Amino acid sequence: MFREKDADAGQLIQGTLEMLILRALTRGPQHGYAVAEWIHNTSQQVLRVEEGALYPALHRLELRGLLAAKWGMSENNRRAKFYQLTAEGKKRLEAESQRWARLSAAVAFVMQAS
Amino acid sequence: MSYGTHGFRLRIKALFHKRRMDRDMAEELAFHQAMMREKMLREGASPGEAETAMRRDFGSEARWHERLRELWQFRSLEQLKRDVVFSMRLLKKSPVFTSVAVLTLALGIGANMAIFSMINALLLRPLPVPHSDELAVIRINYGPQIQYSMASPFFRSLERRHDVFSQVFAFSRYPFNVRMRGGIEAMPGEMVSGDYFSGLQIWPILGRTLTPQDDRPGAPVQSLVLSYDTWKHRFDSNPAVLGQTLEVSKVMFTIVGVMPKGFYGADPTERPDFFIPLATEPLINPENSITKAGYHGWWLSVMGRRQAGVTLPQASAALATATEPILREGVPDANWIAHSLKDHFRFDAEAGGRGFTYMRLTFSKPLYVVFAMCGGILLLACLNLTSLLLARGASRERELATRLALGAARARLVQQMLLESFMLGAAGAAIGLVFAPLVSQSLSAVLLANNSIAAPHLDTSLDVRVFGFAVLLVAVLTLLIGLLPALMATGGSVSEHLKEGQHASRSYTRRALLPRLLMASEVGLALTLLIGAGLLAASLTRLYHSGIGYDPKGLELLSFSMETEKLHGDALAERYREIGEGLVRQPGVRSVSFVLITPFMGMSWDEGFTPEGEKTEKDMWMNVVSPGYFSTSGIAMLAGHDFSAADTASSSLKIVINHAAAKLLFPDRNPIGQHMTRKDARSNKTLSYEVIAVVGDAKYSDVHVPAPATVYLTIAQNIDPFVSYNAVVRMADAKAQAGSLLAAARDVTHRVAPDIPAPTLTSLYQVVDNALATERVMVLLALYFAAVALMVTGIGLYGTLAYATARRTSEIGIRIALGAQRERVVALVFRENAILALSGVVAGLVLALFAARTLTHLNFLFATTAHDPLVLALAVLALAIVATAASLVPAMRASRIDPIRAIRCE
Repeated sequence: MFREKDADAGQLIQGTLEMLILRALTRGPQHGYAVAEWIHNTSQQVLRVEEGALYPALHRLELRGLLAAKWGMSENNRRAKFYQLTAEGKKRLEAESQRWARLSAAVAFVMQAS
Repeated sequence: MSYGTHGFRLRIKALFHKRRMDRDMAEELAFHQAMMREKMLREGASPGEAETAMRRDFGSEARWHERLRELWQFRSLEQLKRDVVFSMRLLKKSPVFTSVAVLTLALGIGANMAIFSMINALLLRPLPVPHSDELAVIRINYGPQIQYSMASPFFRSLERRHDVFSQVFAFSRYPFNVRMRGGIEAMPGEMVSGDYFSGLQIWPILGRTLTPQDDRPGAPVQSLVLSYDTWKHRFDSNPAVLGQTLEVSKVMFTIVGVMPKGFYGADPTERPDFFIPLATEPLINPENSITKAGYHGWWLSVMGRRQAGVTLPQASAALATATEPILREGVPDANWIAHSLKDHFRFDAEAGGRGFTYMRLTFSKPLYVVFAMCGGILLLACLNLTSLLLARGASRERELATRLALGAARARLVQQMLLESFMLGAAGAAIGLVFAPLVSQSLSAVLLANNSIAAPHLDTSLDVRVFGFAVLLVAVLTLLIGLLPALMATGGSVSEHLKEGQHASRSYTRRALLPRLLMASEVGLALTLLIGAGLLAASLTRLYHSGIGYDPKGLELLSFSMETEKLHGDALAERYREIGEGLVRQPGVRSVSFVLITPFMGMSWDEGFTPEGEKTEKDMWMNVVSPGYFSTSGIAMLAGHDFSAADTASSSLKIVINHAAAKLLFPDRNPIGQHMTRKDARSNKTLSYEVIAVVGDAKYSDVHVPAPATVYLTIAQNIDPFVSYNAVVRMADAKAQAGSLLAAARDVTHRVAPDIPAPTLTSLYQVVDNALATERVMVLLALYFAAVALMVTGIGLYGTLAYATARRTSEIGIRIALGAQRERVVALVFRENAILALSGVVAGLVLALFAARTLTHLNFLFATTAHDPLVLALAVLALAIVATAASLVPAMRASRIDPIRAIRCE
């Protein structure tokens, strides 16, 4: 799902990619390339979203009604498909981030236990 | 994965915009690639390097599309499409199997649908009126017996009560003589009560319907409402028809309305040309009015519309409570009331949403029997196909095992095999659907053949229910024929199949029990159908042989309607004598006489007679004949002498009794010269008759029961006024031209009585044929089904056995190689099949006995026992021949197996 610069980072938990995509789109409508770039840059170049996973995930989210898609013009004036969070998508992102926070805190507790 | 309704909608959209979606996907990916390329170039890579990196990252474009497209597709739908194509290819690959299967199913499904559409028309279809479920048929519950016709006074009391019914209405079919432009014509009409149309909630397209004001005795004008068809065909759809007069049975009626298209009244099998008020009956029949006969005249079908909120049981209970007051209102004879109440006489109601028709009472039983036979045929076809598919599945075991080994899910394989049987069933149903209406139309034509005027009509057109039935049939069939073979074929362990050779016998013997069981049940079922058909056929043959008491061949019946001439006694006898003399001079006519009630035409008349010196009254069936009737029709004169012209209205009353009556009335003495009395209800006088002859028994109104005790009066001494008689004409030659007789009869009528309608002609043989129409149709169908059953069983046995033997090629080859005699091989294969057929026969005999007992119970067998040895023997023989032929061919083929080739096959 992800290709990581640090080979030791291990596997990310399932469903995380979708959460990250939803998060990427909180800044407004984006095309697929921008979503991948944003995740890559924001993660300090740790996470690199593979195209082979990105587009199926985007389409799946669209089918589930979490994203809406429409065609528009990109910054360099080319036709591109822009994805946008739906109300449903916002709700789902909220739920996912809470779940993630609990999970990471729990993992941190365990890892820091003496 | 579920995507909810949103995803469903998007995917439906994608389904219809496939090309655009593909374009969009390509463009989206191209955009991503372009952005990546730009970035790499910005970061200093050469164009070649960028190209290589991209190709590495993205891989094949086709694969991309495939991945995304899959997301947007209905996976099951696409799969289904692939499976359909695959199944079609498989079915196409074995055209013989496919055509045999489809034809067998078409036969079975078509027959079932034909019968079902008749059942639908007669027993299920609701009347085409608003809220038909509120309608109820009001009937009389007479202890265990149910009586559906009602006398006028009872109906009029019911009509006035509005506690549980908003309207109670009555109707009665009647053939009328109507004066049209071309002369007098017989037309079917219906006499209906005032609330008939409002009770049915039907409104006219022109004018008005009949109202309670029209249905009053002494109404100033007689009103008449036309049916749509009559208005269209007889009055050219002329709106000016309102206010015109029409002469019906010599009474002038005024046309006040026209009913809408498709409305034929409360009896779904009737097609009346017009409706007139019930109250006009005494005007039409001034001397013989049934209305005036009061509680003696049972002639009305009564229905009601329930008040809102009243259930059928509540309505029934209210009617039961009202029984006694209604009887007291309409019957002056207190004894009669007391007697009836003691016999549990009470009014009650049954559901009437489908209208009321006597045909339902007559035909529902035979229809259900035929339907059961059809079901048997279909079941047989199913068993047959199951064994064939089982055999086919077994031959595909290796293919299926390989597919399972390659990772196919078993459910998928089962689904695909079920699809195959579904396609067979659907194809069969499609063919059946084409032929079903034809079959049911011709069937109902035969069934209803015995009504000349006012021909009843059965609308067997296809409707939602028939289609629903077809869909249900196909669904059940698919599971019935497909599931077992599919489970069996995919159930084995993979490695075992792959290890075994194609012709290994182990898997055959391990699974041999099931196909054998199927085949044995097939034989048993076929035998049951065969025996059932045989019993019905034997019964009909005996009915024809036992006859009606005399030979109907060469007897012609001419009906003369003489009511309107207002003649009776000697004058009437004289008029008929004149007609008789005119007829007997015609070429080919040997003798002519007259009779009131012809057999099996639906008329009957009974009276109570008391032999002199006794107190108890005995019920006798009545008939009125002219002198010479017995010799003309061929009824034996057992003792005494016939009526003569000297027996006139003024001479002493004479009577002829039949053998059954003689046994009942005078068991211990010679009846000739004895006297017997009857009370005449009309004049309240006691009439005394002298018995002058005993004649042979002739059947009266029902061909299935032995001749009842019957007495005969002579025309001149019949005190009922203004009745019509039928001429019975004995032709010198059974093949004589009946057409010239009718022409001659018309001439004679025109000369002797110019004002009566032209006579109608039927042959008595035709009457008997018609009386047996139901039986004939049933026998015809049963024999047809039996033939189909034999054929289907033959095909099934042959197919399954041929296959089973082929699977044993190597085993038999080894036997032959080891020196087994070829005859021994034939015997070996044949013996196994014989055991199978024999066990089927035994099972079939047991089943047939139960079926035959049901037939006896339903009164379908006449002078035939449920285990008629001849029928049983013939059925077993027929089946044995077919089974032998079907298994001999594979056995012979097995004996010709070349051992070298058989073993090399391994």
